[in-house]
Amino acid sequence: MNKSDRHAFVNQMLVYTLVMICFTGSIGLGTVWLRNQIAQTANSIKLYENRTAETERRLSETTTMIASEQSPDVLIRRNAEWRLGLASPDFRTQIVRISENPEERLAAKRNREIFAPQASLQPVKFVLGGVR
Amino acid sequence: MSKGFASNYRIWLLAAVVFLCFGCVGARLVFLHVIDRDKLVRYIDKARRQIIPDKARRGDIVDARGNVLAASHSQVVVGVDPQVLRKEDEAKWPELARLLDMPFAELQKIFTTKTKPLAQGEGAAEAGDDERDIRWAKLSENTSEEVFEKITALKIKGVYGDRTYCRAYPHNQLASHIIGYVNKEGTPAAGLERFADFYLRGQDGWRESEKDGRQREMAQFRTREVPAANGFSLVLSIDSAIQHMVEVELEEVVKKFSPEKATIIVSDPRTGFVLAMANYPTFNLNEFSKADMAAQRNIAVCDQLEPGSTFKIVAASGALNEGIVSPESHFDCSLSSVDYKGKPRSLPREAHPFEHPVLSVSEIVAHSSNKGAAQLGMLLGDQRMYDYARKFGFGEKTGFSGGGEIDGELAPPSKWDGLTITRMPMGQSIAATPLQIHCAMGVIASGGLLMRPQIIREVRDARGERVYRFDAVSRGRVITEHTAETMSYLLTKVASSEGTAVQAAIPNFEVAGKTGTAQKLIGGHYSSTHHVGSFVGFFPASRPQIVISVIVDDGHIPGASMASGALVAAPSFRRIGEQLIQYLDIKPVTAVNRPLLALGGGHL
Repeated sequence: MNKSDRHAFVNQMLVYTLVMICFTGSIGLGTVWLRNQIAQTANSIKLYENRTAETERRLSETTTMIASEQSPDVLIRRNAEWRLGLASPDFRTQIVRISENPEERLAAKRNREIFAPQASLQPVKFVLGGVR
Repeated sequence: MSKGFASNYRIWLLAAVVFLCFGCVGARLVFLHVIDRDKLVRYIDKARRQIIPDKARRGDIVDARGNVLAASHSQVVVGVDPQVLRKEDEAKWPELARLLDMPFAELQKIFTTKTKPLAQGEGAAEAGDDERDIRWAKLSENTSEEVFEKITALKIKGVYGDRTYCRAYPHNQLASHIIGYVNKEGTPAAGLERFADFYLRGQDGWRESEKDGRQREMAQFRTREVPAANGFSLVLSIDSAIQHMVEVELEEVVKKFSPEKATIIVSDPRTGFVLAMANYPTFNLNEFSKADMAAQRNIAVCDQLEPGSTFKIVAASGALNEGIVSPESHFDCSLSSVDYKGKPRSLPREAHPFEHPVLSVSEIVAHSSNKGAAQLGMLLGDQRMYDYARKFGFGEKTGFSGGGEIDGELAPPSKWDGLTITRMPMGQSIAATPLQIHCAMGVIASGGLLMRPQIIREVRDARGERVYRFDAVSRGRVITEHTAETMSYLLTKVASSEGTAVQAAIPNFEVAGKTGTAQKLIGGHYSSTHHVGSFVGFFPASRPQIVISVIVDDGHIPGASMASGALVAAPSFRRIGEQLIQYLDIKPVTAVNRPLLALGGGHL
């Protein structure tokens, strides 16, 4: 091998080495970038998970608070505090039980109205040719 | 042609250096990945790998209308690392003490105590020191998220919070014996919390991951992840409005009669589902640690007592069901003894005198005659009396889904003495839980079926989807439907002017029931001053929708010789009944005006 060939080979090798270093380096950088992207995505997923957990915690706390406010003791206290005057009707004085059948009573009432004396009804006048 | 860069020895030198560097890197990689691999992997595993538990949320307990009775909610355990506290934050300490609702002096003491003595065997010898640094001191274990946000806003270095789920009972003492509680260690200790723990607890999850130098998780290195499965929720048959009515009534009973114990049970006889169950003494579920153990017992299922006259329904139902007697069969209730199996057996005394000593079965039930019940029992005989008692559910667990119940006591006929056949029909020589007595009355209300008392209606998953539904369960037929109807009719006489408990009558409604006034066994003798008064009944008698039991143990009525069931329990039955009529919109059933046909034959 003459001297110029040797130089060309060395030059080529140098170029290939540099290309390989660049290629390897870019793969390395790409991998780092990819891993960084993975880390960012994983962290954002973690963040969302934490937010979901936080929301669930708030939800359960709110649910408990609402349940506490809906307990009979609290409702009775609020009724008194806000002077709403809500009370169930008195069983003996305010509730009247009807022993007869209401349908029959209503039907009888309707029948009475239908068959009431004619005087209570407006007479119907028929005009030949209709009203002009 | 130019010689270029490669024309001298430097190119060789550069190439050699590059290759040498690569060689060094390669050699190092071989050391790291092949030769020292195991050691390094172990080190990394120890230093960076972590398993993060993911706690499952315990399921809720809700009532029949969806009101939350028990729930898990987030709380923050606030603590401090006294080693990292800064001087400039000291001005914020009083505000922190206020937010934590603790005395400032106490907070100051925690903040300024930096070390604590080493416990035995904690390595004092190696360290050569008998004290160690405190890195975590608890300030509060139940701080709300809202308060913790304010604490975080103070930005005091060294004050941290650890979030946990803890159990809350929004209705405090409502249905406390049924719900039970989870103690501070997170162990379900009583009630449904314990007996339905299988459904409620859920399954914790976990994830395998790595952490950085500041102990933060590096989410990108998560390898395995098992999500937590939250616990199922329980839907109870309890209605918190009815439960509240019952508890308010129980408070009234306690105020008026100062009993030792009292129980009220309300259920639907058609299904056996319990709508309310309350006991006195009771306790606040959120302050369970302050309540004594006696107050925490669900006496409706874990206490036994002699049922007294409420047990007469067993003897009467048995005799009617066997066709031995009809409602109009008559018995001489003035006798002091009756021959039974060839021997004279003394009859028990009556609690009150009767105008006419010859009573029909109908009158025996209405007037609660002890002698009459004893004669009915003797007509049935030992074995049949025992069999009917068993069939009515005495002497064995009812299968109550709330758990914790006992069998009661019902001895077999082989262990009976000569008097048992005369005493058992009136509710002595037998012990039963209040729930067993309630279920026995439920047999008549349900048309002769012994229903299993249940309290859990549904199991739902975390998304609210139904996983399982509990249906009504019959434990067997005890008496015929016809006998049950007859008994219902006879029991309506009890809550009438001719019966023992007119106080239980509800206007426009047919009320069927039975009073009980059992003398308490104290020191092996029946006491004449201590009684268990009870009234167990249902309505409307022709179409039963509600069974109510009121049992008052050792009540006291000023000026009265004894706290009978008619005085201490029947009025409560009526008051609860009147409220339930409105709340559940129970319609009155037209009163049975049918005459008793074929009185000797028993048809109504």
